[in-house]
Amino acid sequence: MIESDEVLAALRQAVLAGDDGAAGRLARQALGNGIAALDAIEKGLVPGIREAGRLWEEGEFFLPELVTAAQAMKAAMAILQPALGDGRSPAAGRVVIGTVEGDIHDIGKTLVATMLSASGFAVADEGSSVPVARFVARAQEVGADLVCASALLTTTMPKQRELVAAVRGAGLPARVMVGGAPVTKGWAQSIGADGFADNALEAVTVARALVGRGAPV
Amino acid sequence: MRPSELAALLRHHVVVLDGGLGSMLIAAGLPGGRAPEWWNLEHPDRVAAVHHVYVEAGSEIVHANTFGANPVRLAAAGLSGRCREINLAAVALARDACAGRAWVAGDVGPTGDMLPPLGTATESELRAAFQEQAEALAEAGADLISIETMSDLREALAAVAAARTTGLGVHASMTFAVRPRGVFTVMGNPLVPSLAALATAGADAVGCNCTVTSTEMLAMVREAAPQLAVPLWAQPNAGQPTLTPEGVRYDADPEAFARDIAAMVAAGARAVGGCCGTTPAFLASVRAALEGATPR
Repeated sequence: MIESDEVLAALRQAVLAGDDGAAGRLARQALGNGIAALDAIEKGLVPGIREAGRLWEEGEFFLPELVTAAQAMKAAMAILQPALGDGRSPAAGRVVIGTVEGDIHDIGKTLVATMLSASGFAVADEGSSVPVARFVARAQEVGADLVCASALLTTTMPKQRELVAAVRGAGLPARVMVGGAPVTKGWAQSIGADGFADNALEAVTVARALVGRGAPV
Repeated sequence: MRPSELAALLRHHVVVLDGGLGSMLIAAGLPGGRAPEWWNLEHPDRVAAVHHVYVEAGSEIVHANTFGANPVRLAAAGLSGRCREINLAAVALARDACAGRAWVAGDVGPTGDMLPPLGTATESELRAAFQEQAEALAEAGADLISIETMSDLREALAAVAAARTTGLGVHASMTFAVRPRGVFTVMGNPLVPSLAALATAGADAVGCNCTVTSTEMLAMVREAAPQLAVPLWAQPNAGQPTLTPEGVRYDADPEAFARDIAAMVAAGARAVGGCCGTTPAFLASVRAALEGATPR
């Protein structure tokens, strides 16, 4: 058991340090030691990424540290997810994500895409300034469970409202989550969005609640 | 303006810059999703009108509509292969609009491509993009090159290196935020060491723009000015955006903004203006505050 605890602690540390090579190696080692994939995720990866998020909030971490932590988690998830072996979908959910049309500020969106991907979602990142029609077309194409749209400019926020209407209008089953610096929960509710997240870690929690399946984070 | 001329100007005189351009173009009808650079070709009259009102408000350096006119960002805007054409058009219309009453700065913003670990761009790719834009701006007759809103010091340095080859005076600003442990860019580049690195790389003036309110930027100016050997620029936003039933508003009042700007000048800033959400009314207040008159 000591040995397993050490592997889990090392996995946590590899995520925190943003070391994707070590994270992948340790994920294999965890499975080799007979640690359940779910335990490796819940007791190794998740505490690591949560600690990275806490350090970001405290101003100790910056974007590069947070993103490399997410990339290390993704490397480990690629090994652990297929080993979950409990009949769950291989992906936690299918996501289409982008910044709304007219908005080229995509750091926050990229961070959310990275965290969702690290957490086991299949993510189609459409990039920045994505027209509403393309969000809808891609959502149809990939059978999206969730459409995520970021607006970093107050002038582009109204596009989120158009997106919600277009997704509903097309009769898609996908839920819609919105975010971005000027976006508030009140705004999200007023446009009829299904979810709102204030930061990338919260986005994962909200996405999981909205989609309701897959690996726990 | 050669580097020595820009340095001398800022040493002897506090320069009033311009304010937000993109927000003014949106107010003039720029549709969502359309890159502002398109309007240098489609509606040069409307772009010129914005420059003109800033000059009327007292701006002495006006930024041409070239913030996104590097080849990487132009390609993303559907203007692939048109870097030279766009920069030439933007500077020409700005020079006409200013009619010798203000200098025209060639505006250089980030490419939008990220260096590792966030993206896969290389510093040499960014440098090449900035080189193409800087050469077009110089050919167009820009008086100086003004690099703005950089959040990655490596990208800012690539832009400075390219701008320096034109022989024009160069200003370089980054966008900082107040974090729990000090003032940093989102990438973690700290305020004073980053600005000092830009100066060492050959920027004739360095500074902060965008993201923060005038009150937050005042604190940054007070921290940085005593520690830097080159003139400091400051262009804060018009407060923070808020959502109202009528739409989105920036919450700053032009007179309070101008009081902060005057305090920045007292703290050592040598070129002052506004960024997102600021309008000619803000610049007129700044001008009045600096002249010791009652702001209108």
